Amino acid sequence: MNWFGLGLGFATLFVIGLGFVWVIRGERYFGYLWWPYVLGAGILFIFGSLFISNYWVSALLGVFGASLIWGSTELKEQAVRSEIGWYPFREKKILPPFARFIKKWKAPSL
Amino acid sequence: MELNLIGIAAALATFLGVWMGHVTVRKVERETVDLRTPTRIMLALGIGFGVFSILTPSLILSAMSGIFAMTLVWDSHEFIRQQERIRIGRAPANPNNSRHAKILAEHPTATTVDWLEREPRGDLYSAVDLMAFKEGVE
Repeated sequence: MNWFGLGLGFATLFVIGLGFVWVIRGERYFGYLWWPYVLGAGILFIFGSLFISNYWVSALLGVFGASLIWGSTELKEQAVRSEIGWYPFREKKILPPFARFIKKWKAPSL
Repeated sequence: MELNLIGIAAALATFLGVWMGHVTVRKVERETVDLRTPTRIMLALGIGFGVFSILTPSLILSAMSGIFAMTLVWDSHEFIRQQERIRIGRAPANPNNSRHAKILAEHPTATTVDWLEREPRGDLYSAVDLMAFKEGVE
């Protein structure tokens, strides 16, 4: 009997739940234009997990990286949700570097 | 140095689990009249993956199926939550589905409008803007 997978699955639920929190808060204060940085961070986490020999740490890094990638695709919809009043809207955002250029790209949404 | 593939496997399972769950729940809830069938199927699949995860000797397969198990069991409950989003008008109702048609008739908040089908504009919408948009679509 091997409980590693179910334990990891349980931990994944928490990481995904955490995703809801940081997507909502992050969008409120920083705006959705951070999405390429969040996406990049997710890819880096997953890449980094390759070099960690501890199974739990490597797996959790991968799960966290995947939830960052997923969150990066949720930021745009979250921006709309707050603009239409479903979540508190904050006009002043701390914009990312190169926000002017990022604005011209199509933000991913799945 | 030997590369540890378990992180990538766990990442793949997490991303696929969340993505498929997200798409499947919305699509199936929209088309199905009786939600009990998809709920049971999701739950059964989740339990199946859970049992496999405990029995397999492979750590990578155990990790992936454990993640699928938990996300599928969670998704089985999401059908009811999605129906609630239809009731309060945060997700678009499908008038061709008799269950949704009933919700549309009984709940004034329910709508066929997909509020999220738009790009962010950087500004808060007023109640008048939203009402005009809703009337324009309906």
